[in-house]
Amino acid sequence: MLAALMGRPQGTFASKVEVEGDSVTVTREVDGGLETVKLAIPAIVTTDLRLNEPRYASLPNIMKAKSKPLANKTPADYGVDTTPRIETVKVSEPPKRVAGIKVADVDELMAKLKAMGVAA
Amino acid sequence: MKTLVWVEHDAGQVKDATLACVTAASKLGEVHLLVAGEGVGPVAEAAAKIAGVGKVHVAEGATYAYALPEAVATLVVELMGHHDAFLAPATANGKNIAPRVAALLDVMQISEILSVEGDATFTRPIYAGNAIATVKSSEAKLVITVRGTSFEKAAREGGTGEIEAVSSAGDAGGATFIGQEISKSERPELTSAKIIVSGGRALQNSENFHSIIEPLADKLGAGVGASRAAVDAGYVPNDYQVGQTGKIVAPEVYMAVGISGAIQHLAGMKDSKTIIAINKDEDAPIFQVADIGLVGDLFKIVPELTSKL
Repeated sequence: MLAALMGRPQGTFASKVEVEGDSVTVTREVDGGLETVKLAIPAIVTTDLRLNEPRYASLPNIMKAKSKPLANKTPADYGVDTTPRIETVKVSEPPKRVAGIKVADVDELMAKLKAMGVAA
Repeated sequence: MKTLVWVEHDAGQVKDATLACVTAASKLGEVHLLVAGEGVGPVAEAAAKIAGVGKVHVAEGATYAYALPEAVATLVVELMGHHDAFLAPATANGKNIAPRVAALLDVMQISEILSVEGDATFTRPIYAGNAIATVKSSEAKLVITVRGTSFEKAAREGGTGEIEAVSSAGDAGGATFIGQEISKSERPELTSAKIIVSGGRALQNSENFHSIIEPLADKLGAGVGASRAAVDAGYVPNDYQVGQTGKIVAPEVYMAVGISGAIQHLAGMKDSKTIIAINKDEDAPIFQVADIGLVGDLFKIVPELTSKL
């Protein structure tokens, strides 16, 4: 969405990102495998969970971060309207699955599969 | 209400997820389709035959060849001038395009809908499928992605849609397609397979995965899936992954082999009709959702099962 608002190209579900000059090559995880696209910079890239190892904040840095000033702003300060335009009517529990039966061995499982018409 | 459905196609075929999307759209009103791509004449003709389709908008051009969201979204926005709702399947491509369309139209997207409850009311999963929210939109235009496993597929034949060419050169907006590596497989695609055999970390390595899970799957004519643990451990490629961050599947029979059943995995398969679990830990959570459970060593059970089939 950000990419669209900025009118810039996007690379979503990225599993590999390489910057070369004024473009970035992004390898994306798609349904059947991988897809590679080249995007003109600036571009918006969203990552897949296997892209890299996150950097964890070290304790000294956490301590240092505590002393940094924080500027509290509201969306209105930036002229942004955040009124939701979708209303949640209700939230319900999905149908629960109940635990079924346990079979003792492969033969019994075979019998069940046959009964379902899966195995011949 | 006039709806526009983005048709996902591959090798001249309309994908199954699109058919489910057509069913969802038909609950809202008139169904129009958008077929964009290069050399898409046959796809457009196939699309026009889908039951319940009114009109098929066809955008022909090299820019649209690989469903680049920059190009397709711009095209969709042009067409949305005379449509009230845009629907796309919640696939990698659909999820790439729809948010871009939503942003350009300045509307809130409604993702992964499970059912249509009214003109602008839908249900969708939240918290990894642990709760179902019913949401009502007050937008002038709707932008929706549809979970393919939650709707019946519209029939491929029986429709008499009218084909209309869209003249738009398209602009890929700074994106270029370089290439793709699609894993080739003779097995059915996960999201549309009737039977799925999935393996987990208990298989220990890639060789075991291939020598234990795959022969069973081939005997059953099943698709092959995996848990995130098995994918992270590198036994199989990422696109095998079933679960919240992988594929959402709902086959007739789902066989989980050596999968303990983490909640994120269950989120991806609990709509399966029958779940069969094979695991050596009898307290594994997978048995709480399985219709048929078999406690034991998969290295003995699965080859035995394969040989008896």
